[in-house]
This record gives sequence, C-alpha cells and structure tokens, in this order.
Amino acid sequence: MTRGVTGLITTTAILTAVIALHAQGPRGRGAANARTAAPVDLTGYWVSVVSEDWRFRMATPRRGDYESVPISGEGRRIADAWDLARDDAAGLQCKAFGAGGIMRQPGRLHIAWQDDSTLKLEFDAGSQTRLLRFGRGGAPGEKTWQGYSLAEWESPPPVRGGNARAQIGNSTGPIAPGGGGRGQRGGPTPSGSISQGGDLKVVTTGFREGYLRKNGVSYSENATITEYFHRLPAEPGEDTWLLVITVVEDPRYLTQPFYTSTQFKLEPDGSKWAPKPCHTDPPPPPASSSR
Amino acid sequence: MLRRAALAALLTLALSTAARAQISIVGEWTGRYHEDNTDRIPGDVQGDFTGVPMNAAARRYAESYDVRRVNLLEHQCEPYSLPHIYRGPLQFRVWEEKDPATQEVIAYHEYIGTYMQYRTIWMDGRAHPPDYAPHTFMGFSTGEWRGDVLTVRTTHIKKEFYRRSGAPSSDWTTVVEHYIRHGNLLSHVMIITDPVYLNEPFVNSQEFVLMERGNQNWLYNCEYVMEVLLSGGVPNFLEGQNPFIEDFAKKFGLPLAAIWGGAETTYPEFMTKFAAGVAPTLVNEVAPAIPRNTTPEIRDTIEAIHVQGAVYMLAGAGANVAVQIGDDGVLVVDTGAAVARERLIDAIRKLSSKPIRWIINTNADPDHTGGNETISQAGETVNGNPAAIIAHEGALARMTAMNRPITERPLNTFFEPERDFYFNGEAIRLYHFPGHTAGDAIVYFRGSDVLVSGDLFLTTTFPAIDVEDGAGIDGLIDGLNKMLDIAVPKYLQEGGTYVIPGHGRVCDEADLVEYRDMVVIIRDRIRDMVDRGLTLDQVKAARPSLDYDGRYGAESGAKFVESVFRILSRKK
Repeated sequence: MTRGVTGLITTTAILTAVIALHAQGPRGRGAANARTAAPVDLTGYWVSVVSEDWRFRMATPRRGDYESVPISGEGRRIADAWDLARDDAAGLQCKAFGAGGIMRQPGRLHIAWQDDSTLKLEFDAGSQTRLLRFGRGGAPGEKTWQGYSLAEWESPPPVRGGNARAQIGNSTGPIAPGGGGRGQRGGPTPSGSISQGGDLKVVTTGFREGYLRKNGVSYSENATITEYFHRLPAEPGEDTWLLVITVVEDPRYLTQPFYTSTQFKLEPDGSKWAPKPCHTDPPPPPASSSR
Repeated sequence: MLRRAALAALLTLALSTAARAQISIVGEWTGRYHEDNTDRIPGDVQGDFTGVPMNAAARRYAESYDVRRVNLLEHQCEPYSLPHIYRGPLQFRVWEEKDPATQEVIAYHEYIGTYMQYRTIWMDGRAHPPDYAPHTFMGFSTGEWRGDVLTVRTTHIKKEFYRRSGAPSSDWTTVVEHYIRHGNLLSHVMIITDPVYLNEPFVNSQEFVLMERGNQNWLYNCEYVMEVLLSGGVPNFLEGQNPFIEDFAKKFGLPLAAIWGGAETTYPEFMTKFAAGVAPTLVNEVAPAIPRNTTPEIRDTIEAIHVQGAVYMLAGAGANVAVQIGDDGVLVVDTGAAVARERLIDAIRKLSSKPIRWIINTNADPDHTGGNETISQAGETVNGNPAAIIAHEGALARMTAMNRPITERPLNTFFEPERDFYFNGEAIRLYHFPGHTAGDAIVYFRGSDVLVSGDLFLTTTFPAIDVEDGAGIDGLIDGLNKMLDIAVPKYLQEGGTYVIPGHGRVCDEADLVEYRDMVVIIRDRIRDMVDRGLTLDQVKAARPSLDYDGRYGAESGAKFVESVFRILSRKK
C-alpha cells in the first residue's frame, strides 16, 4: 500500500466521520442525557388558544356528534351510548382527560424536567400529569389515563448555510422597486446559517380507554398515540408558540389515523396556573327544529 | 494530483450530502379535515365565528354580510385569499426552483387546486415590495428554513374572509406560516395578524398527507353567470336584521355572544364564564383609527412603478401621478403637490426624454394640481406652447374660485360626460362623475388597460364628498360602477385592468369592488337611518362606518358619514 493510497483512505475515514457526526445532530456529540441533548427548549408555562374545534373543546357537544372523526362502527356504537351522568357516577370523570384527549382540553400546560431523562407535562385541566421518558423501553403493566410515553428528540442534520442568489422572477404584473422581478434584489444579505431547530417525538401506549372528545367519542386501549412537539420559530416581539401534532391510530374505534394539531402560547410565568379536577359540563339540549 | 482530485471529490460529496439532508416538502399534498370540519367542508351553516379573535368591526361586518353578494359578477369567481385557502377542501403541489449554478433553492412554488392558485415563496432573501405595490390573493411570500421548519412570511394580500359566513379579513393582513413534515404528514400552521379585524393573532393549523397516487382533480372552472339582476345594489343586512346570524348558535345549542366573542373566548378562563352562562366582554373598540399609510405621500425620492403597457405610477409627489410614455411624447395625469414639483419632473425625465405634451387633472385639489404650472412649462405642445392642461370644466371653475394662478389652471376643458382622444398609440377616454368634487374625471388608457380614478377611489381613506362644490353620493357610486364596468380581470378577479387610485396602492377590479361595496353599504345604512328620522348626531353615534373605520380611519369615516347624511337628508 503506497503512502498516497493510505492518505486517501485516512482522508476518506475522517470525512465519513465528519458527515456522520453532522447527520446525527446533538445526539451524536456525546450528549450525556436527554436534557443536555435537547435541540429545543420546551419548558415553561403554555396556554392553549382554542381557535379550532371550538365547539368540541370549549363546549360539550351533543351525544352522537362525531363530526370529522374517522370513526368505526364500533366507535360509533360506543359514542352513541355515552352517558355523562353514568361516567360521573362510576368515577370516570377523567375519561376525557386521558392521553388521547388532554391536549384538546382548554387549559395550561407546564413542561419541566423531572430528571435528566424524564420530561414532565402537567395540565391544570383535570390536574393531570404525563411523564415523557427518554431512552427506556417497555411499558408498565397497569394501565393509566396517561399511559406510558417514550420520547426522543428529532434533530435536523446541519444544512449548508446561505440562501440562494437572486434569480429571474416570473411576475407578470406591475413590479415595484425592491419587490423582486427580473434580476432585482432588494432584501438584506441572507444570514448564511440557520438555527438548529428540532422537535420532540412521543409515542404513548398502555393507557386506559378514554375520550377523544368530551361527548364519548372514544379511543381504545389498543390505540397508539404519536405526538410531535414543536416550539415554532418566532421573531423578537412575536408570541412564542408550541405546536403539538397528535396522531391517534386505533384499530378498534377508528378507520384511519385521526390527526389534530394544537397550539399553545408561551406565558411569562405560572401566575395563571389554576388546577381543576376532571369535570365535563353537560351538553346542550337537543336542537330545536325551528328552521 | 490524484490525491487532490479525490479529496475535492470527497469534499463535494460531504457538502452535497449535508445539503440533501434538508427535509423536502416537494410533492402533492391533500387535506385531512379532522378539525373545524363544519366550516371547512360543508360550510352550510351561517354564523360560525368560533375561535376567531374578531373585533367589533369584524362583528359588524359579519352581521351585515349577505351571502347573496357572491351573485355579483365581480364576486362570483373571487378565490379564497392566503389566510383562508388552506382551510377549504384542497390539494396542492409543491416544487422547487433551483439556482443552476449552486443547486440552492431560490423559491418554492405551489399550485393549489382550489381556484387554481399559484404562489411563490422566495428563498433568496429579497425584500417585500413597498406599500403601494399591488396586492394579490396569494400575496408576496418569503421563506427561510429554521431547522426542519420552513417559515414563510406573506404580505400584500387582498381583502377576503377568514370564514365564509362573513368573518372578514383585510388587505393589511400579514401571515406567518410554518411547514412541518413528519413522514408523509405535513402540518401547516398559520399565524394571522390583521390590525383591522382581529384583536389578537389568529392561529390555526391543518394537516395534509402526501398523495401516493395523483388524481385528476386539479382544475377549478369558474365562469361568470348573470343569475339575478341586482341593478347596482350590494346585498347586505342592516343592523339587527340578519336572519341567519344565529343559525350556527341554534344548531349546536351555543349562545351567539360566545360564538362571536372574539379573543377572550379562545382562552381557558372563558370556560368558567361559559359554564355560568355569562357572555364574554365584547370588545367594542376598533383597531386604531389612523390609516396605516407607513409610506409618506410626499417623499424625497419619487418612485416609479410600471403599471402596465405605456403607463407608470409615480408615488411620493402627493397624490398619485400617472405617466404615459410613447413615441408621441409624455402625458401626465395629475401633477402632485407643489412642494414636490421639481422632483416630479426629474422622475418623469427618468422615464422619457420626450416632450411632455399633455396634462390631465382628475380634480382641482392642490395635491393633484400643485405641479401644473411647473410641469406644463417644462413641456410643450406641437405648437411650441406649454403642455396643455385638460380637465372637466368643474375643475377649472373650482381653481378659478380658489384664485389659483392662470398658469396653473386647466384651460383645455370639457363639459360633456365623456371625452376621448388618441395619444401614444392608444385611445384615452375621460369620464366625468361628480363624486368627490364637481369636476372629477376618470382617465382610461384603453390600450394599456389602466384606469386612473382620481379621488373617486383611494385606498388610504374613505371618500371625501365636497357637497358644497356639487359632488354627491350618486356621482361617487356611478363613477365606481363605471370603473367596474370598464375593468376586466385577467383571471379569477386578479390582474387584467389595473387601477391607479387617487391615493394609495395600485389596484385591480377586486380592490375596486370592495370599495364600491363599502360605499353602497354605508349609504344604505345611512339612508335607512334618515328614513327612520334619526338626527345627524344619532347617525354618528350609530357608527355606520364602524366595520371600515379601522381600515380607512374613523376621522375620514365621520366626515364621509356626515356628507352622505346631508345629501340624503336634502333629498328627503
């Protein structure tokens, strides 16, 4: 083997290692634990802003109103049999506050590290707590409302910095100065780099049967709940938002994955934290047929 | 040598590997409607404003909104605007435009099947256009990757709705989007800010899944059809008379006050009030009543915008100035304020060195005619005289009454409803409609397909009607309707005929029709109040312009209301 070939192999090995390290993101940099490896800070007090599905979340819909849920025949049968008074009498008030429904409850969410490998999510709605465990397999035998959650960070690999150069525009309407168009470039110099970003993926199983919606539209114990937590990029002066994307897959009560994404706004402190017990208001009386 | 080449190749591989690591949003995506399905898919129930942080102006607008308005020709094929279009049933395609030299993404392009809309997200760091540039339904977008989240900022969006039951959006809306991909799931977040109709940012998110098999449902065919003859009217409900406003509330057993309670109802604290049957504290203030004209109308530098054909708009001289250039010379519509006249000449000279032959005044106001003398003296007719100034005789009468110097006055006047002549290879038509003053003129460049409206149409304030001069609400509405008759959109209410307003940004028919609707709706409200015997103070207290005050300014709104009241009272 000549010196030249040896050098080439060495160079190749070094470059391969560099690429591999970059592709791994923070996890590949010898991070000691989940807390120090976090590519994004999710901790803090967050308040849900109910700008979607308002009538299902702020109010209790009537029995049999399962609009937009890809519900199966069995799921429909369960939902049609929902009886709030019976739930309350049976001590099942928290059925709408389980892992599959808690994110949709109006309230505040407090995220903090319990230890270096456990992220704790507390909800003042229903006074619920979820523990998101990093790097541990298996699930406990006893099923709970919140189940057993396994978490992992998802970090994008680094991207070569810099944006593209200005290019030929294709606007056919009036072109204003600085507004682009053929060869124009009015913007500031691109930063040349991007922030790290990243999100938290959580897979939850091992929970008790609960409600996707307050009116008995259910998920079963056989379901799997996958969530992605994103702290959204924001400019100074803008609100900071947390987006939680939830995918519920339930071979029993759903015919296809049920997708929701829920927005929370960062609050400066916990001064508005107001824990309440699990409680569901009764639905409105049946609709009148006035029109 | 071999080693160097191999090293270079490996470095290239390393860099390109990193570049390819950027997550891709390219592909064809179709919606999942597991949230807000009632509004997004069937949309058949009027009065769903839940979760929208709408203010008092938006509530008034929504209550007044009559869905029959979409019967009007100018509204029939109006697409959803950016903050609304992802909420409807849709599929969209994303593709990249790359720099051939660097292979970096210059732009993402989207084709949205609903209404066949195209949009571009520029990734090359360019700036957004100035305020006076035209708006479109998809707006002007720039994007930036932050980690695996594509963040997009969009401005220059046309007015439309957040909900099709009448929750309005304004043309001051800005949108921040986040595109987030996990496997075959694409989440799309919109954070919408609208100082006119929202008290807080309106946040929503929607999910799309990657289409593994394309389908053919990519076309949207809209043809204008005259179904009813509305004879110039704009369907709207007077306050308290919308019979459909409570449909959603009744269907789902919810109090109307909660449904349109705005931002307060989106926070957990409202649960307590809701359970107790307490209505939200309706926010009665409107957005700041100061027009957001962030770009001063008189500036050190006058900017030229090529509007279309031979016509340019010059902004920064006071009122907008239109310039038509060609082989015959230069024609100038309005000459701005006196203080900017020298700069205006410089700006015109940058467009053409040909002689200024004609000046047209759309009215006699000093901010439209302040440069008359200077511009006229700088030009010359074919006979060697200063450039001729054309205007309706009403404008001359007004300037004479104001004792303006003879050299500033338009001595080439017309008195008939229409006048036309030919210059620079196209017909130029003048129309007289006394809506702002007695001597208003609309100018239409037929070949270039550009209208110059004068102060019959502006995007900065309510119309100002000089009642004493002989202008009136009928003349104003007739003038606006005439321009709507002339204007033809290129595609789905966008482009085609462009309109240079007296003040503000370049517009098209979609902008014009919203303004016309506003004038007619406020006129209808005041007419009803006059018919009911209300006094001027009572009319003012009722705030018939409330839903537009945040956009055009409460001060000019109050003047407009008073003018219309006086006109209609006099008629009575």
